[in-house]
Amino acid sequence: MASIIKAILDWLRSLFWKEEMELTLVGLQNSGKTTLVNVIASGQFTEDMIPTVGFNMRKVTKGNVTMKLWDIGGQPRFRSMWERYCRGVNAIVFVIDAADHNKLDQARAELWSLLEKPQLANIPVLVLGNKNDLDEALTVDQLIEAMNLQAITSREVACYSISAKNQVNIDITLKWLIQHSSSASSSSSVLQM
Amino acid sequence: MSWKKDEDTDELGALMNLDQSTVMQEARVFNETPIRPRHSRLLLAKIIFLLYRGDKMSTTEATDLFFSITKLFQCKDMSLRQMVYLTIKELSTVSEDVIMVTSSLMKDMQPKSEITYRANAIRALCKIVDPSMLPGIERFLKSAIVEKSPSIASAALVSSFHLFKDAKDAVRRWSNEVSEALNGKALSQGSSFFGGGSSAQNQVVSNSKIVQYHALGLMYAIRQHDRMAVLKLVQSFSGQGKSSSWMGGSNPTLRSDMAQVMLVRYAVRVMENDSSLLPQLYTLLEEWMGHRSDMVSIEAARAMCQLRDVTAKQLTPAVNVLQQALSASQKPTLRFAAIRTLNALARTHPEAVQPCNVDMEGLITDSNRSVATFAITTLLKTGNEASVDRLMKQMQGFMAEISDEFKIIVAEAVRSLCRKFPSKHSVFLGFLSGVLRDEGGFEFKRAAIEAIMDLAKNVPECKEAALAHLCEFIEDCEFTKLSVRVLHFLGEEGPLTARPTIYIRHIYNRVVLENSVVRAAAVSALAKFGVSPMADASLQRSVNVLLKRCLDDRDDEVRDRAAWALRMSGCNQTLRDKYVRDDSTFALAVLERKLVEYCADPDASSKGSFNFESIPRISRAQEEESRTRARMENMDAVLTGTTISAPSGSGRQAGGTESTEPGTPGIGSGAAASGFMDSFEQQVQYASQLNAIPELAVFGEQPLVSSAKPVELTESETEYVVRCVKHVYESHIVFQFDVTNTIPEQVLEQVEVAMEPEEDIEGVLQPVVVVPIAELKYDQPGTTYVAFEHTDPETFPAVSFACTLKFIVKECDPATGEPEEGDDGFEDEYSLEATDISAGDYMQATYIPDSHTLWESLGVDGEAVETFALASFDSIEECVSKVCDLLGMCPLEGALKPKSKAAHQAVFTGRWLGRTRAVARTRMTYQKGAGVTMELAVRSEDRNISELVVSAIA
Repeated sequence: MASIIKAILDWLRSLFWKEEMELTLVGLQNSGKTTLVNVIASGQFTEDMIPTVGFNMRKVTKGNVTMKLWDIGGQPRFRSMWERYCRGVNAIVFVIDAADHNKLDQARAELWSLLEKPQLANIPVLVLGNKNDLDEALTVDQLIEAMNLQAITSREVACYSISAKNQVNIDITLKWLIQHSSSASSSSSVLQM
Repeated sequence: MSWKKDEDTDELGALMNLDQSTVMQEARVFNETPIRPRHSRLLLAKIIFLLYRGDKMSTTEATDLFFSITKLFQCKDMSLRQMVYLTIKELSTVSEDVIMVTSSLMKDMQPKSEITYRANAIRALCKIVDPSMLPGIERFLKSAIVEKSPSIASAALVSSFHLFKDAKDAVRRWSNEVSEALNGKALSQGSSFFGGGSSAQNQVVSNSKIVQYHALGLMYAIRQHDRMAVLKLVQSFSGQGKSSSWMGGSNPTLRSDMAQVMLVRYAVRVMENDSSLLPQLYTLLEEWMGHRSDMVSIEAARAMCQLRDVTAKQLTPAVNVLQQALSASQKPTLRFAAIRTLNALARTHPEAVQPCNVDMEGLITDSNRSVATFAITTLLKTGNEASVDRLMKQMQGFMAEISDEFKIIVAEAVRSLCRKFPSKHSVFLGFLSGVLRDEGGFEFKRAAIEAIMDLAKNVPECKEAALAHLCEFIEDCEFTKLSVRVLHFLGEEGPLTARPTIYIRHIYNRVVLENSVVRAAAVSALAKFGVSPMADASLQRSVNVLLKRCLDDRDDEVRDRAAWALRMSGCNQTLRDKYVRDDSTFALAVLERKLVEYCADPDASSKGSFNFESIPRISRAQEEESRTRARMENMDAVLTGTTISAPSGSGRQAGGTESTEPGTPGIGSGAAASGFMDSFEQQVQYASQLNAIPELAVFGEQPLVSSAKPVELTESETEYVVRCVKHVYESHIVFQFDVTNTIPEQVLEQVEVAMEPEEDIEGVLQPVVVVPIAELKYDQPGTTYVAFEHTDPETFPAVSFACTLKFIVKECDPATGEPEEGDDGFEDEYSLEATDISAGDYMQATYIPDSHTLWESLGVDGEAVETFALASFDSIEECVSKVCDLLGMCPLEGALKPKSKAAHQAVFTGRWLGRTRAVARTRMTYQKGAGVTMELAVRSEDRNISELVVSAIA
């Protein structure tokens, strides 16, 4: 009974406080983008995923915010199309496999070339070091170093170390994202690390 | 209701004036948040309208558009999503990176989404997927094929059918699912009968029929190259009575009429070329003729009518079925299908169609003009002389109302009638000249004048009248080509008539009034009158005066021809005959190809002028025959639609079957002529292939003689298919082996043929070069060569060789055709049938004009005569075509078409090693029991050669 009342209350609240935001998830293949979307949407972790061919579109409602998540394939053939889906979104989420040291250079190059696009200027970026459940995963500081994030000055950048598998730091990720929904994003322009 | 109508017309009006750039501007709507489903849907409709209208979109435009459309996937509105699918399908060929929507479409085709989504997503997916992505979606497509819902199963089957073009091997792997869709539904239909109400059952039945149709189509596509499998498919659906299907038992049935029609076609395709299966095919077709659906019974009857060696008795039930369809007053399509089939049948078996005469008479006044035209032209073929007048009059009545295609059919029908009833020529001429005066397109007019020319040639009594009609026609002819054709014909026939002067007047009018092409043709025609042996001195003088006037013409070609003609008129009679009345002509296809090669070769002019000697000559009669044949084939194609009965390209078939069925009425010698045309063509191709190989190119510019048709060294259904062609050079002999690998799981390497002579050829033939095939992939024919040096130019050995195919086998992935890594393969052999070389292989089949004079001039010095008793032949026809094969010479007119069963004379010409002229004359007699007795006399410029030619028979 209580749950029904709570649901009704939620619904009523959402009528008044409904907010929409659009996010694009990019990053090299096998960094865990689709897995992360699943975890955010349903809280479930699936071990074996097939590579995303093209994109997946998910709508997720958290509290009174509806997030539209564009999850774009990370294979080289799709990277040229990232930009198209990043235009005009509230935030770009760049997911990195923090445990795969060999691909860090490539990830940095792709991130920087994406951020150089004039169409994407000023869009906040959230860099996520995924798979921190693995021993060899980089820490946040190492990741900031590796991605050379200090050098980004013209936009808001944040970096978290997360694990989609163990659901570590998913909450602060969501919090950051919700802060950047359409109404909130205009007020904050501080660089936070 | 009325306001809706207004809106509709407004909408349509707005669509008609759509501007592409405006629409592209509006497309920004797709990127808005939130999506406006109704607005977006309308815009998509406009985009599709533009695409259907044929507006071109640049790749960048299309790609931008495509990516904005992908944004619409966030909206769950069903009708919007359907439009999105549709637009994606349309854009899939123009836009780049359409693969981007793969994941989204795959999500939509999952079992948990809506049925409408699923079917449409499958159809869109197969448009955008590339073969490399196929393994990823294979699992989903396979389960969609066996899906209960008909729309999904159909979508999956049709999509697979389209994918089959690019990804044969992947789709082949789904054949289990396809056969389940083909057969299994019969069971689910039964269960739904018990489960649901009658209306629900109806729905399943009506829809799943289409699934079966699609499944059958895909199944055939998968198996079409495997004859046995197709045969099994046909038999599994035809081998049982009605009762077992009631039980829902193991024997599957086809519930879809369309599927049944396809099955009829497949059955004919797979069974008609195998004589052992023909009785079975006849029974099947007869059974299908009794099918409850008109579509099926007509198709079966049509198939029966198109079989090659069908007898009158077998035709009777088919004609009965068609006859019933003729009287189907409510169904014009049925009438049309039946009369069209009968029309085609009347060309080959007029007597079989006669029982329908009464019904067809009734159709002459049919309100559907196409039906009426077919009815009349069929009647003309089956009817007797008495009815011709009446029919022609009736036809004239509605000529103006039918389209050009039907007018052509009428003209062709009249043309064949002319041959049948020569005494009615005045009626036909009157009709043809009448229709020539009417409006009509080029093809129709051409058919009409060809018919008149045919009459003039074949019915001497009406020649003058026919020529007069032709003269009248060119007075006012809008088609230059036809004028030229008629002028040429006047030049051929006019001089032989009693009063050539009247034609000269008409022809000279053309010189005065027409364009340069026609003027040139007219000058040539005039010249023929001048040099004709019938021309008296005054006529010659008049023609010369006219020709002299032409010397002032504005056009080079006209002046040149006039000057040449004047020069010719001064020459003596023999020289004139040589140039003006030559009865041989070049094999035009070869001449064309050689000239193109010559023009394309940058240093050709330094090598000297074009060599006409290398072009084979054929008689005009042969050329005419091959033209007639081509024309008949065209007509067949017109009448029967795409020719199911001749799947392997009828042109090639004509060459191939020429010797096997010399008895087929009407095409015997025509086939021979076109066979020779083909072989000339073929030789030029061989030469360019051979010259591409450095080891063989040194033997000479091109082989002196190449065998006319390949010899099969294997059965056609074996693992490897090998055909052999022999090329004889000045001092070399090259065996060319065309090898095809029919096993998808294998790649062959280092393929070559080992040839072991069965007799001692030391000192005569010396093996010199073997050119192997480096790699032979599945279904990609390759060619290997074995060359011998002919060391003793005086002897021409007849030797047999035992042949073995040697190669290295490697396993490979059928999907890619790449051999597996680390597989070194193993050596293997495959024994072939023996091949031999005999006297006929040294002979080039060339037409030599005026063989009689040559025969006389060669005299008895170079003659070799021998008599043979050939007991093994059952008829002269069989014997003469075999002799023709053995000699390797060109049969002259009528050689292959014995007029009597008891005795026959035939003349052959050819050039030994492409040089020495040889003429062979045979006389044969046939007695039942004793076989054929033949006397063969050969004369050539060298007695030894004559004897060698004779030895070819032994």
